Amino acid sequence: MPSITSVNVTHLHLLLNHVPTVGAVAALGLLIVAFIRRDESLKLAGLEVLFAVALITLPVYMSGVAAFQKLRDQPGISDTAMRLHQDVALYGFTWMEFAGFIGWVALWQARRRGRAATALVATATALTMLALLVMARAANLGGDIHHPEIGGALATAIDPSEFLASKISYVMVNSTWAWPASETVHFLGLSLSFGVLLAVNLRILGAMKQVSFGDLHRLLPWGMLGFVANLITGMLFFVGQPKQYLDSAPFYWKVVFLMIAGANYLYLTVFRKSWSEAFDPGTADKAMALASMFAWLAVLYCGRMLPFIGHSF
Amino acid sequence: MLNWLESLPLSVWVHESPSVWAQPTVLTLHTMGMAVLVGATWVLDLRILGISRNVPLSAFRWTFGAVAVGLIVNLITGVLLFMGRATTWGTAFPFLIKMILVVASAATLLPIRSYVLHGDPDQRDVSSRVRLLAIASILTWAGAITTGRLLAYLVP
Repeated sequence: MPSITSVNVTHLHLLLNHVPTVGAVAALGLLIVAFIRRDESLKLAGLEVLFAVALITLPVYMSGVAAFQKLRDQPGISDTAMRLHQDVALYGFTWMEFAGFIGWVALWQARRRGRAATALVATATALTMLALLVMARAANLGGDIHHPEIGGALATAIDPSEFLASKISYVMVNSTWAWPASETVHFLGLSLSFGVLLAVNLRILGAMKQVSFGDLHRLLPWGMLGFVANLITGMLFFVGQPKQYLDSAPFYWKVVFLMIAGANYLYLTVFRKSWSEAFDPGTADKAMALASMFAWLAVLYCGRMLPFIGHSF
Repeated sequence: MLNWLESLPLSVWVHESPSVWAQPTVLTLHTMGMAVLVGATWVLDLRILGISRNVPLSAFRWTFGAVAVGLIVNLITGVLLFMGRATTWGTAFPFLIKMILVVASAATLLPIRSYVLHGDPDQRDVSSRVRLLAIASILTWAGAITTGRLLAYLVP
């Protein structure tokens, strides 16, 4: 069986790389129309698209770094052009995740109160706009990598240590404490989000029948807190030592399962079912709950096995 | 004694075998056990501190089942991991701190457990004594995870 690491990451990146920009335009369009029409359900649709785009932006960024690792030694491709693109993309990624996070909070609030605070949706919209601008710049610089003729004058000499990714990597690799401290936070975060999802999914699977789903939905932000902590620390590891992850099969699987788990999180957040205590989950709900628990255990397995099946630490 | 423990065939296998079923699997199960054990405990602690206060405390009785599963898995995998490193960890200060924190965390759970199991099924309010225990439980488990994780760096 061919290993997952044999996926052509450069092609994958070329396939996925339009999602953040095109997706952000779609989310932004929905949100702006929703504001003009004062249409609450359209706002929710825009926020859901935003969350999905923020989720997919993770493999887009990672496949880009993988493509860079593959292409960096090839003649005729400017190292500086790729690094510049990658660095702007890292800023774009950060803004996109920030927008997706605020969008998630608005979705959670909307499910609880019927509608999200206008200020919250407006903030998510503004952040999406900013993320789109930075991503568009990144996309433009990405195009320059293969088409220097349309790129105009590229700054030929940028000190590689000036890049954000290089600075993060320097601290992560050279500081005595940065890596262990991030690992510790990563483990605390995983316990918190796993516990919350265990409670919510067990309710769907039939435990705590006397409790309304709405009351457990109240716990989801705590799970999100753990997830945010792990996204931040996880990205510090990845940006710190990208090569050791990109050469490692379990890492690819981990990202695949993270996407499934993330989609599940959106499902649990917007869950348009009865919140009464009589709520009796159907087969599809139970399948989603099982998939969620399986995906999180798989993320955990792939993550912990990274040093052994793959060769990263 | 520690030397003897570390030289047992099982200890050597866990620590040195190149098989994925040795150290890698034991360590991964230890991490999964941690997620179940600490995750379920923290959810209960959050409820005690007032998150999802509409839910009666008795609805969270299932957490003790999850905690028991996590504890048993981590006791077994923890002993296996210790056997492979007995001489080093047995005399390492961070490991001692971790054990103290694990025991302290488990100890905070006992009074919380009897409070939740023997209370009125519809009870929603929590006494301030149990709230303090919940705070202690959150902090001691966080400390146990921190020292456990740092063990890999402090006692290589």
